[in-house]
Amino acid sequence: MGKDSDQTRSQSGISRRNFIGTLGAGALGAAVAGPGTATTQEAQSAADGHLVVALRVNGRQVRAAIEPRHTLLEVLRDQLELTGTKPGCARGECGACSVLMDGVPRYSCMTLAAEADGHEITTVEGVMQGEELGHVQQAFVEHDAFQCGYCTPGQVMAAEGLLRRSPNPSIEEIQEGMSGNLCRCGAYAHIFKAVSRAAELKRGGEV
Amino acid sequence: MLPNFTYERPGSVDEALEHGSSEGAVLHAGGTDLLGCLRDGVFSAKKVVSLSGLEELRGISPTRDGGLRVGALTTLTGVASDPTIAERYTVLAQAAASAASPQLRNQGTIGGNICQRPRCWYFRGDWHCLRKGGDTCYAIAGENHFHCIFGGSGCYIVHPSDTAPALQALGASVRIASRSGSRTVPIESFFLLPADDIQRENLLEPGELVTEVLLPPVASGTRSVYRKVRDRGAWDFALAGLAAVVTMPGDSVETASLVLSGVAPKPWRAAEAEGALTGARLDAETIARVVAASVAGALPLEHNGYKVALVRGLMEETLRALA
Amino acid sequence: MKYYLEWPEPDPTNLPPPAQDIEPWGETRVVGKPLPRVDAYERVSGTALYTLDMALPDMLHGAILRCPHAHARVTRLDTGRAQAMPGVRAVITAATPGAAIPWYFRGQGPTSMLFDEHCRYAGDEVAAVAAETPHQAILAARAIDVEYEVLPFVQDDAVALTPEAPAIHEGGNILGQETSGRGDVEAGFAGADVVLEQTYHTPCEIHTPMETFVTIARWDGNRLTVWDSNQGVFGIQANLARALRLPLTSVRVICNYMGGGFGSKLGLSKYTVIAALLARTTARPVKIALTREESFICVGNRAANTIKLKAGVKRDGTLTALDAVFLGSGGAYPAGATSTYLVQALYLCPNVRVEDNEVYTNAGPSRAFRAPGMPNCAWALEQMMDALATEIDMDPVEFRLKNIATFLQINDTPYTSIGLRECLSDGAKAFGWSEARARPRGRGHVRRGVGMAAGMWAYPGDPRATVIVKLFADGSVNLNMGASDIGTGTKTVMAMVVAEELGVPLDRIQIEHADTGTTQNAPSSGGSQTVLVSAPAVRAAAIEVKRQLLELAAAQLERPVEQLVFQDGEIMPADAPDQAVALADLRGLRGRQVIVGVGRRHPHPEGKIALPFAAQFAEVEVNILTGEVRVLRLVAAHDSGRVMNKLTYENQVFGGMAMGIGLGLTEERILDSRQTGKVVNANWHDYKIPTAKDVPIDQTCVPIDPHDTECNTTGAKGLGEPAHIPTAAAIANAVYHATGVRVTDAPITRGRMLSALAERRGE
Repeated sequence: MGKDSDQTRSQSGISRRNFIGTLGAGALGAAVAGPGTATTQEAQSAADGHLVVALRVNGRQVRAAIEPRHTLLEVLRDQLELTGTKPGCARGECGACSVLMDGVPRYSCMTLAAEADGHEITTVEGVMQGEELGHVQQAFVEHDAFQCGYCTPGQVMAAEGLLRRSPNPSIEEIQEGMSGNLCRCGAYAHIFKAVSRAAELKRGGEV
Repeated sequence: MLPNFTYERPGSVDEALEHGSSEGAVLHAGGTDLLGCLRDGVFSAKKVVSLSGLEELRGISPTRDGGLRVGALTTLTGVASDPTIAERYTVLAQAAASAASPQLRNQGTIGGNICQRPRCWYFRGDWHCLRKGGDTCYAIAGENHFHCIFGGSGCYIVHPSDTAPALQALGASVRIASRSGSRTVPIESFFLLPADDIQRENLLEPGELVTEVLLPPVASGTRSVYRKVRDRGAWDFALAGLAAVVTMPGDSVETASLVLSGVAPKPWRAAEAEGALTGARLDAETIARVVAASVAGALPLEHNGYKVALVRGLMEETLRALA
Repeated sequence: MKYYLEWPEPDPTNLPPPAQDIEPWGETRVVGKPLPRVDAYERVSGTALYTLDMALPDMLHGAILRCPHAHARVTRLDTGRAQAMPGVRAVITAATPGAAIPWYFRGQGPTSMLFDEHCRYAGDEVAAVAAETPHQAILAARAIDVEYEVLPFVQDDAVALTPEAPAIHEGGNILGQETSGRGDVEAGFAGADVVLEQTYHTPCEIHTPMETFVTIARWDGNRLTVWDSNQGVFGIQANLARALRLPLTSVRVICNYMGGGFGSKLGLSKYTVIAALLARTTARPVKIALTREESFICVGNRAANTIKLKAGVKRDGTLTALDAVFLGSGGAYPAGATSTYLVQALYLCPNVRVEDNEVYTNAGPSRAFRAPGMPNCAWALEQMMDALATEIDMDPVEFRLKNIATFLQINDTPYTSIGLRECLSDGAKAFGWSEARARPRGRGHVRRGVGMAAGMWAYPGDPRATVIVKLFADGSVNLNMGASDIGTGTKTVMAMVVAEELGVPLDRIQIEHADTGTTQNAPSSGGSQTVLVSAPAVRAAAIEVKRQLLELAAAQLERPVEQLVFQDGEIMPADAPDQAVALADLRGLRGRQVIVGVGRRHPHPEGKIALPFAAQFAEVEVNILTGEVRVLRLVAAHDSGRVMNKLTYENQVFGGMAMGIGLGLTEERILDSRQTGKVVNANWHDYKIPTAKDVPIDQTCVPIDPHDTECNTTGAKGLGEPAHIPTAAAIANAVYHATGVRVTDAPITRGRMLSALAERRGE
């Protein structure tokens, strides 16, 4: 059968504790830079039509060889093996793939990986403090703000972005701020409570 | 899955125009509409030219005439949360805040929002329709719940933008750059109807780029509002919307600008309604006349007759609130 | 007509009697508490591994070529171009050896083939490809050259009934027509003071769970392992084994974390069989993940229903007759389309007639969707009840209270418990019904109204679960159960049952579940049966462990078992608590290192039936100028028996109502019926599921526990489905209360609301 020209290795969900330093095949090499050395870097064209992008993902500097058509979602999951970020629709209609870019929530399925070059990306894995859950995650647990949990990483990132922008949101602001993330199980009522609680936790309220 | 293309991220507008002029090049501002179109095969691209390196196209600043310049790459969130816009150009802030979802507003730009392609499901889906170069408009005999009641001919899309009618109501212009120079076009004449060109929604030629949106100064006492009705509480395009900009120094309306979204292939100026409102006292009788005038000439299709009632309702509600 | 959930069909009649005599719980210490989920950490941290996240070494990706025509015959198929594409490892079609697999969609058959040359809807499977990357697979599938003979198609249910309609299956399009009921409806109407008649319509809805439909198949010699996002591994296993002609033992199906199903992932899907075939052909693991668009087209929907309902009532509120005609179509390969159950069962009525018609149409297949047929039926019945109440000038709650049936009228079976009265009265109280009902509805263009609806669920569950609880030498526990946790909190609730019985903290209970290779048979997580079927089995297994531990302790303490008590993970003589022995200190346990308890679900009670009941209340705001309907608040009162976990219980109720808002206000599949027959809104923008802004902030859950000691040994009844049944109807009734306009077609879109308002004004 046909010859191979598109041999990009795909997901491996086997490792769950995803350390960027152990990138899978497909990345041209994962350089781990020292802290605070992220620089804005133009996406460079590699000889074979791939681009090399430099991203800072969850505080770590990574370089990845990508095709121009690759989305940030695909690079996060397939190359960096950060499978916490979920594909739902691949067209900006559900929010399951929400991440923060420079602290602002956006859909990684609607972001070309090349556009993320030089930017700071935070995924659900990046709001953990080691093995400890972040404030938003803790609040989601406390208030049972999910059912199947598939949309939850995206919900957590939307909430994280909302609270970074608006640390003390009203319940209506929460409703608006979370309106870019579908939950087919319909856990919205608990999500509202959880985001409200997360704001409290972030402000240093009672844990 | 996206098809293959090459990717350029120029560092200057000139460079962007250079790349943008090559055959098969498409411009990428926020990318939220472009990537959807490429994924669905609405059109194809050999080269994606990203504008994200063009810092000069971002931001909001005052102009010498007392108006405002909004860089085309300013995000919808940026537009919606700008204090000057919120205060003086309320209609625009409200329109930007009502578009899409929080994440898409963080990414989508004002330039991209006015240049986005229509959402007609035949156009977006795998129907080879008139607007895509085919020979049939499937909406005419098909499922036309969300299609236009004004301005259709051959093709019955609605223009999907919320900010465009707000800009038109404000009398804004767009600045367009190309390799041969730049021009400023009133937004009123920026958009095209199917009768003008069935495959384009605006007059941008290949290789042209919207660089900024220019807002004229607003007269004191101007009141403006954008009211959008959609089937879902968020993350939905307008079934119909009304951008209203009215000055009423005393008891009577001095100027009125009423532009509708979601009902025509371009932002639709309700000219007869404006005529009925201008110079009149904002009383029940005037409102009734304006409401009736607002749907003059409406030609609904089989499933979108409700839009006529909706436009009347929007007009009535908005005018009552202004009264 | 009947809904088909599973094959082989459950046979609850030939189960052995319970092994132990287990007393119902009284007060519980762990069960019922609002505890966070045992797998919450995994789900919020992104570490939970869903099938879509998984990959195996050397794995290929599959893609399916689907028929683009609503009705066609494949006349020529050439895979040459596709075979030559980069990365392609296999292309399979109807002609591939081993691919001529009969396809069953109603339990028995065959009624079509895996790749059927007769394509009956736009989306039917024609061929499939395995390639090195998903992209290569998709491109290759598109490169398969197919010539079709395009046939006339029919998508209108009523037209499909006519003899002129193109035949979708041999024998025509009428799948079933049956009439049932009791009494004499004509006499009932003759004796009524008020008779109303109305036709209602509900849309075709799509399940569209957040995790798409995905499977990974891997062969090891003649043994197949499938990781598959589904709601019941044993049903998938049985059907896959049948399709591939393998013994059950050669097919292992695993699904730990899964991202929602709502019924669409109950049955075996073609893509799973196709992945298995591709994996066998290529001798490599194959993953197939359907696209979001495919999830709207070919893996199930709730059939649209047209329900004509006529009802008679006396002035005093006594129902005298109900006469209903149902018409629905589950498309070309339906699992069911309608449910007449509520009309027959919910209210006391001596004279009932239901005529049920189900037809084939050239559209995507239906599947059970959260309470299949029931919210549709409630949409009609509960609006009719509201209209009757108005006509006789009686409060809708009072009217329903007057017509509560205390037994299942379909077969004269008494209920083990019925909390419908409390659902109605306590729910009304929590809602502030009387005050809200009397409040002014507004004179301007924004009107307010309140409405309510009741419901019940029909399925008592398939009582066949077997569960194993293992207690290790240190007192920690392994819970081994076949049930799936589809997001309803199954794992958490079952662990709480173990904790209740054995006094082991939740974090010392490890759960192994939903794996046909390592866990024991349990019914699928559908039909609101998981807790009420599996929890008693878990309880029995834990009690069996406890029995063995007490025997060990009796030997060690030299006391008869009867004198010992088991408390907080310790065993002690009732009269000498100071002699308490911790489990880890039991010598007999240390010797064996493990105690194994096997528990089976007991059969259903003889001559009685256990079913859940519900009443929901809604307040809405309607803008009569724009047609906008906003749900302001919801109250749900549910008799689902014992509350197993207050937090997950409440969450599930709110989730059911959110989905009900979708049916009531926003969701509707739209077909291009007059032109191409394709779905025009196969995406989440055009098919509108509720967002955070479509559900009210103000939602209240009122659990009603009738302390049912007969239904099963936990006292819990089903919850997931009843939570969804009355919501849309309650909203419609509130809209009527606000505006005086009855919208009989769901969903109440802005357009429908405006049209109904205009019609009333005589425009």
